[in-house]
Amino acid sequence: MIDSLEAARALSEIEDVTRRVRQSQIYRLASLLMILWGALVFAGNLVTYLTPFYAEKAWLSVYVLGIGGSVLLGALEKARSGVRSFDLRALLAFVMFFAFGFFVETIGHFGPREMGAFWPVYFMLFYGLAGLWFGIAFTMFGLCVTALTLIGYLYVGVAFPLWMAVVNGVGLILGGLWMRRS
Amino acid sequence: MAELDEIIHQPLRLKIMAALNALPAGTGLEFVRLKKLTGATDGNLGAHIETLARAGYVTVDKAFVGKKPQTTVVLAASGRAAFARHVAGLQEIIAGAAAKPP
Repeated sequence: MIDSLEAARALSEIEDVTRRVRQSQIYRLASLLMILWGALVFAGNLVTYLTPFYAEKAWLSVYVLGIGGSVLLGALEKARSGVRSFDLRALLAFVMFFAFGFFVETIGHFGPREMGAFWPVYFMLFYGLAGLWFGIAFTMFGLCVTALTLIGYLYVGVAFPLWMAVVNGVGLILGGLWMRRS
Repeated sequence: MAELDEIIHQPLRLKIMAALNALPAGTGLEFVRLKKLTGATDGNLGAHIETLARAGYVTVDKAFVGKKPQTTVVLAASGRAAFARHVAGLQEIIAGAAAKPP
């Protein structure tokens, strides 16, 4: 027979392990999404830098492939682990996220450089917020990319899209790989 | 009366069961992930998984992913029920202590 203190310790241990398992499930899907978006964003920035004429089409493709790929990865992860992680609500959240982004972009009359800085910072705001619920790794990552984006916006010249390909694209891929290990 | 399961009550086995219980029925955790979550060594974790498997609380699936062997541990229905009873037992002990006059 154990006493109430030992029982409370055991329950607290159970709660802690349960929280870590759920967090690791979230990190697992998030890491896949980050790698996907990282590759797409890298390609989008590279096209913007090399052939600015096709930039608009490239970014539209990035968004369509990104959202479609996210839904697909969510479905595959659900089939693998049984955990529902990307559903209709998540898809609607994505749509609202992009709708608001396009709205701000339009009323702000952003040029290519401003858009190049706005979207990553806007994206990273949600990483920062997600970190408040799902783990500090998201917040740290969001803050780092935001800081590097602003440094690039302020101090990097015409090579800004190239800077963003590395900071945002490669950054997301590395962040995803790191999150996969944590 | 609180019913505690001696097999589950061991600290590492409690962690293993808690981790598996957090997943939907029928899904499991790979050995390496379980090792990371529990902070156990290979040998220690393997021994305790075997104890749980002998009790019928978990099943162990061994497969090859590419050329790498992969061991996945899944919580059995009887394990889930035993874990729920164990948790209820722990809660009963705490409730009992709180109800006692000082």
